[in-house]
Amino acid sequence: MITRSGFSMVETLVALTLSGVVLMLVSTTFLVQNRYYQSQREYAATHDAARALTERVAGELRSVMPGGIAVAGARTLTLRSPIVLMGVCEIQSPRVHLYNEGGETPLVTAEVGGIGWLDETTGLWTYREASWSYLNGGGGTAAANRCATNGADTAWAAPEFHRVENFQTLFGSLPQPGDVLMLFRGTRFQILESTLEPGRLALFRRVGAGPLVELVTGLDTTAKFQYRTGGTTYADTVVAASLGSVDAVRIVADARRPAPTGGAGALTFGWSVNIALRNAP
Amino acid sequence: MRAERGGFVLAFVVLMLFAISVAGATGYLIVSAEGTLAKYSGQGAEALAVARAGLQRFVAEQIGVVGDSVSYAIGNGVALITTRKLGPYDANTDLYYIRSEGSVADIFTPSSPARRVVGAYAYHQRRPLAHHAAAMVAAEALYAQNSGARIDGNDFSNDPDCPGTGAPPIEPPITGAIARTATGPLNSGILLGSPSGETWTGGHPQMYDSVAIRWDVISDPAFPVDFEDVVPNFASLPADSFPVVRVNGYFAPGSGWSGWGLLIVNGELDASSAWTWSGIVLAGAVDDIHEGHIRGLLVAGLDGPNFYPNVYWRGTIRYFSCFVNRANESLSYLELIDNTMFEVL
Repeated sequence: MITRSGFSMVETLVALTLSGVVLMLVSTTFLVQNRYYQSQREYAATHDAARALTERVAGELRSVMPGGIAVAGARTLTLRSPIVLMGVCEIQSPRVHLYNEGGETPLVTAEVGGIGWLDETTGLWTYREASWSYLNGGGGTAAANRCATNGADTAWAAPEFHRVENFQTLFGSLPQPGDVLMLFRGTRFQILESTLEPGRLALFRRVGAGPLVELVTGLDTTAKFQYRTGGTTYADTVVAASLGSVDAVRIVADARRPAPTGGAGALTFGWSVNIALRNAP
Repeated sequence: MRAERGGFVLAFVVLMLFAISVAGATGYLIVSAEGTLAKYSGQGAEALAVARAGLQRFVAEQIGVVGDSVSYAIGNGVALITTRKLGPYDANTDLYYIRSEGSVADIFTPSSPARRVVGAYAYHQRRPLAHHAAAMVAAEALYAQNSGARIDGNDFSNDPDCPGTGAPPIEPPITGAIARTATGPLNSGILLGSPSGETWTGGHPQMYDSVAIRWDVISDPAFPVDFEDVVPNFASLPADSFPVVRVNGYFAPGSGWSGWGLLIVNGELDASSAWTWSGIVLAGAVDDIHEGHIRGLLVAGLDGPNFYPNVYWRGTIRYFSCFVNRANESLSYLELIDNTMFEVL
């Protein structure tokens, strides 16, 4: 009789039982861990959404000059954020010659939403909507030479001098040498239903007449903008006549994710951040 | 034989070790990437703060001629400031563009530091001191007393001693003397100007406010000057240099202290007849009987109402706009225009 070494039936059954128990323990642990991982991922996503909403809006808000808020609603915020500030160095009526760092090369001309004019005595800006093609009168050596005749230092910087047209048409008068102007972009932030994940809210950004771009998906219905006009309380909206007195914006950055598989409920996370407008009057 | 079976446990252990290693490596990569991003973000913010601080410091410290560039070490970074003159705003003010580039280097990537740039516009107040009179003293009365004494608000800038090429333009005459209740010539003294004298009943506060300078700042020891308590060697200075000289305490200059520039007397001025100064003299107080000569302009009693209520000037004060303007430029400063600082992208 040939002796064969191997498992007996009992050994096999014991081994299978033990393996089953071990497998069950391991799989349970795995499933629990996986669920925990999923929930953490969802939490992280809500954190990311809240942070992205805050940083994206706050970054542009901090550069806004007085009067730079054009629309102040709970779910709509329209800003005139400076692209570049320019110093007027010479007037050749009706043309305005000026200096702007970098000249036209780094300028994203499609983003130009208009021009601002600073009243140096009050520190307040006046804005007019206009496209770059309407304002642009060319630049370079010719503009630099005009400014040089008025005492400007144009050495190594001729391309940074420029000529603006139609200023008088927009404002009714011409600036004086020594005045400061601004090219601004009109930026609109809106909280709308997401196009990527219908049924959920998202933050959109639009520059001028450009496309509406979805930036942050997964906002809660409580996410909104609020505004302070000199006091200590914040309102959801500000009427047009009071926009100039907005001195702080609150971003209620509430994010929401649907309940993960096996989860009990939706995940929410959020904070409120008050952004004091640096240049508020 | 049982002892000959094996391999399964080893394979399992190896597999588990591999899985743990992969998980660990993935975790480390995620954490280190987050850390790196956070570090770069922090350095960018720091570079912006350095740029802004550098610009503010430059404007605050700027006195006299505006330099083309300067750099400051601030915190962990460096701010490089450059300026560009864009032309006049008015007769005494120019518009400047100030650019500040802040950079913060990382020892791991020294060739690519974090960089942020801010720009701002500023007015350069070239002649901050307002010219109201050849002699303005915050005393009750100011007289040109005795023969040879003269206080004159007519411009003497056609004098060959005036700096610059050619004859400078003659400016309109200014008031000869200003005091609180009385001015005038006494005992054959001469008081001229347009008008020769004025009384400002507001006294010291009115006069102080009108000259448009901060006496508390420029008389402070922290305010930087070219020479302090020492007479400059004028022979070694360029002819077109108008230094700022500050003297602290009672000051009785003789001929050895004659010279030109902006003289700040942080105390009482009591000059002898041998002393002549071309430019501007600002004094906390002035002696009641004074014999020195000024070719330019005097403002005294800046510490408060003059210690002596009646001042008898026995020397001469003649208005030279050429000296006054040059000395005034030594006090010139930059003033940031509100709401013009922006980040250059």
